[in-house]
Amino acid sequence: MARRRAPRWLSANLLLLPTGLWLALFLLVPLALVVQYSFATRDTGPLRVVLPWTAQAYRTALDPAFLPIFGRTLAYAALTTAACLLLGFPLAWFIARHGGRHRNALLAAVLVPFWASYLARIYAWKALLDGDGLVNRLLGLVGLGRDGGFLLTDGAVVLGLTYGFLPFMVLPLYVACERFDHRLVEASYDLGHGRVSTFFRVVLPGVRPGVLAGSLLVLVPAAGDFVTPRLLGGVDQSTFGSVIDDQFRGGNNWPLGSAMAVLLMALVVVVLVVRGRRGEDVL
Amino acid sequence: MGDNRPTVRVARLWDTDSPRVTRRSVLRSMAFFALAAQGAAACGISEAPPAPGGGSSADVKASNAVDEKKLNFFNWTDYIAEDTVPGFQAETGIQVTYDNFSSNDELEAKIASGAAGYDLVVPSDNFLRRFLRSNLVRPLDHDLIPNLRNLEQRFREADYDPGNRYSIPWAWGTTGLAYSRSQLGAEVTGFSAYDLAGARGRSTILDEARDGMMIGLLALGHDPNTKDAKQIEDATRYLLDLKKKIGQITSDVIEPLTSGQVPLAQCYSGDAFQARKANADLAYAIPREGGMSYVDLLCVPAKAPHAENAHRFLDYVLRPDVGAKLANAIRYGSANAAAKPMVDKELLNDPLVYPPADVLAKLPFTKDLGPDVEARYADAWTKVKTG
Repeated sequence: MARRRAPRWLSANLLLLPTGLWLALFLLVPLALVVQYSFATRDTGPLRVVLPWTAQAYRTALDPAFLPIFGRTLAYAALTTAACLLLGFPLAWFIARHGGRHRNALLAAVLVPFWASYLARIYAWKALLDGDGLVNRLLGLVGLGRDGGFLLTDGAVVLGLTYGFLPFMVLPLYVACERFDHRLVEASYDLGHGRVSTFFRVVLPGVRPGVLAGSLLVLVPAAGDFVTPRLLGGVDQSTFGSVIDDQFRGGNNWPLGSAMAVLLMALVVVVLVVRGRRGEDVL
Repeated sequence: MGDNRPTVRVARLWDTDSPRVTRRSVLRSMAFFALAAQGAAACGISEAPPAPGGGSSADVKASNAVDEKKLNFFNWTDYIAEDTVPGFQAETGIQVTYDNFSSNDELEAKIASGAAGYDLVVPSDNFLRRFLRSNLVRPLDHDLIPNLRNLEQRFREADYDPGNRYSIPWAWGTTGLAYSRSQLGAEVTGFSAYDLAGARGRSTILDEARDGMMIGLLALGHDPNTKDAKQIEDATRYLLDLKKKIGQITSDVIEPLTSGQVPLAQCYSGDAFQARKANADLAYAIPREGGMSYVDLLCVPAKAPHAENAHRFLDYVLRPDVGAKLANAIRYGSANAAAKPMVDKELLNDPLVYPPADVLAKLPFTKDLGPDVEARYADAWTKVKTG
């Protein structure tokens, strides 16, 4: 009566096959190409990369001259994540707890603007932040205006990034807030915690998974973004992403661009693994 | 309240208690797939090919690979006279499909993929050099283009394609400075304009290695086509200094100039004139120190299905009457000497479109300096942008 079964290891691996193929085709093969490019020799002709293998691109990429740009990129990404968290948490909490039957509409309101082209929206910010733009004129009324506007500053880039990645923070936070059992807050009050300590000792640990997921979803793409700094930033706002983009676009140095991409990726992976080791989870 | 729960769910990335997945198993399978992927991707890189253009006396006789009265023409937007194509169709009975692109990169992507099926394309001279290195265009059959003799001498011996072996100029322009008269409050005569108070922190330079480096080289009195490593280094230092005074390094200047966001920009004359159409406050100047000429070139892709028809169009557009109508419509410089008498006087007398000889002498074409020197320029440019 025992039906014949494929060995357990086989069936498990067969079930993995579609996922494995998908990962291989769309993630690993492109990734492997980038790694290979990074060790190839640069060709100024149409091939861009040729043999022999060399580590020259890594020697160039690790030049201390790039350190300030690396630091700036990390600072932008960290500030953007922090800003998204500060803006996103109250919003997600409000929608989850007090949205009532308007929840779906409120969530849609967060998402709908993002159906328009990112480029168009960043160009809109360009107009807003310009010297003659709305932001500068309004601030000018209270004496906070700035000659020439806020375009081409670090602030403009962080603002643009925050605006661009906010939904990635709000959605996971919303799910976490929505799942959070509100009775815990009442219990905390009953047991003598004040508002502040309830927030830090009950609410925050409760929504921690959402905070982590949202932060990762914002931090990683913000560290690699190149469109925002290029359009809203000036000569002193170039990021690692924009340098990588330059190496590919002008067609002038694919190995260097690839090496920088690999280094950036390695850094992100290190951050994830270190974080994963401290916390309990893998990701 | 339970009924109207939102249906939005986000993947549970942070779900920690799936027991089967440990970090070790994840790492092990990642390592396996990474190795496999390296194998799958291994054919991506090959040895350097022999340098092209080695005097191959390959047959330049142009004939149609597909025998039909058709021509697929790929040109920049707003860059043709109304009757250029209809006139050709009426005369030859060849049906023209006219498509447009808006950047050299877009054109390159289409042509490099090989399957586009275009018979005539119009890259700028810097991209023609790249196309030539990649063997993307075919040599021209001069027997089919008798009107070639109508070209001005300057364009018959130009560095980008001496003897017009691969290309025929469509129109040409210069690289100079566009500016807002009211914002700068002064006429611009040279690169010292970047020091003007009205320009500080908001002006731009082009994001293209040879164009950007040109400013440093010219300002220091060097040849913009120099191969001298020391001069390139000096220019890099000059530009790093200049960078403190400007706002952005970008080739996207038409919109910011028109809206007044950018008061001073290094700019192609064609872009400057286009911006001026929308904002009369704008002016264009060729700096006292000099500049460069650029030219958009008709050429025939290597895989063109109707190469012979393409040659007939080349001969047609080189005719004096056709060339003059084209020049009057697009208001760029014409390379067609025989057409000059029929070009609008007002246009001919505009020193910004047709600079006088002494200015022209300071507007060389961008020379192809060979892979090593071009790489040196690219590296210097990276240094400028990241320094």
